[in-house]
Amino acid sequence: MSQTPEEKSKHLDEMTCLLYIERQLDRARGLEVSAHTQECVACRTLLRAMERESRLLTRAMLEEDEPLPSRLAQFQEKARRSMQWIWGLVFGLAATGVYAFYTQYILLWQTQLEQAGFGGSNLLGLLIFQGTMWKGWQSVITLLEVLAMLTLAGLGALVFRRRIRRGSALALVFAGLCTVVSMPPAASATEFRKGQSPTVNKDEIIKGDIYLSGERVKIEGRVEGDVFAAGKDIEINGQVTGDVISAGRYLQVRGTVDGNVRSAGNTAVISGSVGKNMMWFGDVVTVESTGKVGGSVTMFGDSLAIDGHVGRDILFFGTGINVNGAVEGGIREKGHTLIIGANAQVGGPIHFEGDKPAEVSSSAKLASPVEFKQMEHRKEYRDSSYYIWQVIWASAYILFGLVLFALMPNFSEEAVKATEQYGAAAGLGILVGCGLPIAALIACVTVVGLFIGISTLFLWYAALHFGQIVVAALIGQWLMGRTQEIWPLVGRMVVGFVLLRLCTMIPHVGWVFKYGAAFWGIGAISLVVYRRLQPVIAPGMPSGPYTPPLPPSTTMGGVQPA
Amino acid sequence: MSAPGTMEPTEVIARARAGDAEAWGQLYHDYAPAIFRFCRRALPTREDAEDATMEVFMKLRGKLNQYDTTRSFTAWLYKVAANHCWDSLRRRRTRQDKETGDLENVPLEHPDPSQLERLIEQRTSEEVRKALEKLGARARMALVMRYYSDMSYDEIADALGVRRAFVGVVLLRARHELRQALEGGSALAAGGAS
Repeated sequence: MSQTPEEKSKHLDEMTCLLYIERQLDRARGLEVSAHTQECVACRTLLRAMERESRLLTRAMLEEDEPLPSRLAQFQEKARRSMQWIWGLVFGLAATGVYAFYTQYILLWQTQLEQAGFGGSNLLGLLIFQGTMWKGWQSVITLLEVLAMLTLAGLGALVFRRRIRRGSALALVFAGLCTVVSMPPAASATEFRKGQSPTVNKDEIIKGDIYLSGERVKIEGRVEGDVFAAGKDIEINGQVTGDVISAGRYLQVRGTVDGNVRSAGNTAVISGSVGKNMMWFGDVVTVESTGKVGGSVTMFGDSLAIDGHVGRDILFFGTGINVNGAVEGGIREKGHTLIIGANAQVGGPIHFEGDKPAEVSSSAKLASPVEFKQMEHRKEYRDSSYYIWQVIWASAYILFGLVLFALMPNFSEEAVKATEQYGAAAGLGILVGCGLPIAALIACVTVVGLFIGISTLFLWYAALHFGQIVVAALIGQWLMGRTQEIWPLVGRMVVGFVLLRLCTMIPHVGWVFKYGAAFWGIGAISLVVYRRLQPVIAPGMPSGPYTPPLPPSTTMGGVQPA
Repeated sequence: MSAPGTMEPTEVIARARAGDAEAWGQLYHDYAPAIFRFCRRALPTREDAEDATMEVFMKLRGKLNQYDTTRSFTAWLYKVAANHCWDSLRRRRTRQDKETGDLENVPLEHPDPSQLERLIEQRTSEEVRKALEKLGARARMALVMRYYSDMSYDEIADALGVRRAFVGVVLLRARHELRQALEGGSALAAGGAS
């Protein structure tokens, strides 16, 4: 149907036809078009064709040609469960945190208070420990555990009352916690002993690990495994073929420990033998003249006195060391004082960073002179090297981020997106950021194992840094706009990180930015890890029954109502 | 904009707003397939559509408090989805260079109606869907907003960031692109057959 230019000019243009069938013309123009199409066959045909085109488009788009992908069906389950999961985890972590706080700190504080003369005479002691309910340490621990659990359960029920009726996840967490708390000793080689004075008697042989807790813990016999001990006084007069892991006020090793001693407490006295290494978090360690540590001594605390024998190195952070025995390795100390007595023998190098030079007896036998470095106390941000190091650290972080973004582009992108879930990311960040190291420490000193505990600590430490990078990428996106491509995202991360680093350099408040970003980022990473760990629905699984809210058909010709 | 006879899920929305996970699940169950299809039509790949569907529902959690309950929930939801898809397309700058120019140059001629009729008669829905995939981002987005989710010209203008007066132009140009894509497919098929 070819038309001359004159004929064409008489007809309606296509734009007018479209606006007419879509009811977008004003009333007057609509009536004109309507009148024209009564007369003009070509325009009427065009209108009909365009209307049919509209209907074809609508039909083509609305047809259900693809089922809902299983990934989205899975997401539906996530949508149902996610709230419960998050709060379940929050609750579980909070309970773990409180429990860990109690066992790791409060018990130690109590013993220290007792040492300071408050034990038994202060109000708390009078009310709880000296009262009529006093039935020994174990009953107090159990009572406080139960109180903590009940308080948390009450708070949880109050906060999550809306969801608790459907909270299968919460129920699971509760059940798990209750099981852990109330579980009787498993039928294995591991033994548990509680009481006022739990003891392994002189003629007794324990084949396997043993857990002891009480006011006065004694190992007089032989333990062919590890010893986990918690109490006020811990004495090892017999033999332990494995490690000793303890927490208490006072630890004395008169006997033999073939493995390591890893402990936290106030005072440790080694007059017997430790086959491997010793690690101590606490005030005082004394290796007496009869005492021997086959491996190294690592200490974070107040003072270390070596009158006996240490087979390898000493690493010390605290107030001071007094050496009057034999150290076959070297000494590395960061503290205030180092005294090397007349009977001292040191086989390796001595590095000492402190307030004043080491006092070395002229009779001491040293493999090399003491390397002394004066400890600097001036404010570091007044030093130009501080800024150079800031630049170096910032570059290292950016490189770290670059590697992570390149190695795990999808994960990184998801983590950056997750930071925008401000509440969940920040809340979860605080909980995971605080809870994970506590859980790792618990793992280190319990049956879970040192390897898992230390690996978890490393992961947590790496996540602290990655968290800052993730938040930096978000800050970059705020400034430079969003992107889903990886390299522009890296660019934004760099810009964001520079800003973040500048904020962390602000005196007095910089740490708030640093740890705020780190914990926020950890929360975002935790969210992504959770999503990734969700089970995958089997391929080909049909999506659930569904009646879609269909959009209606759209185009009807006519005039827009006035 | 809800289907005839479909009630707006007022109670479910209220519960979802209050943080009820079950209500969220219900909303997702009811609306995810439609939103997935919307995204599938608007975005280049199935994976993009899946991602976008999830992201729209995640956004919805934060935005549900902004929803005006006196208006249609379905319409509001499509608007959120449209904004999200268009943002996503814009970020990729897919074929933007081609599209950002000559909105003013509207073809004002009168096409041959019989040729258009023939073209429409010969095409199936599946062919139209395949042709849609060949369109530029703006053209496809405009057609999807108008003919899938029945969005008004004002809403389309708002989502695409153009003046309302140009929405018709965008739609008409999109139809032209679609016709070209359909004709190209046909020519290719004929060429292959001979």
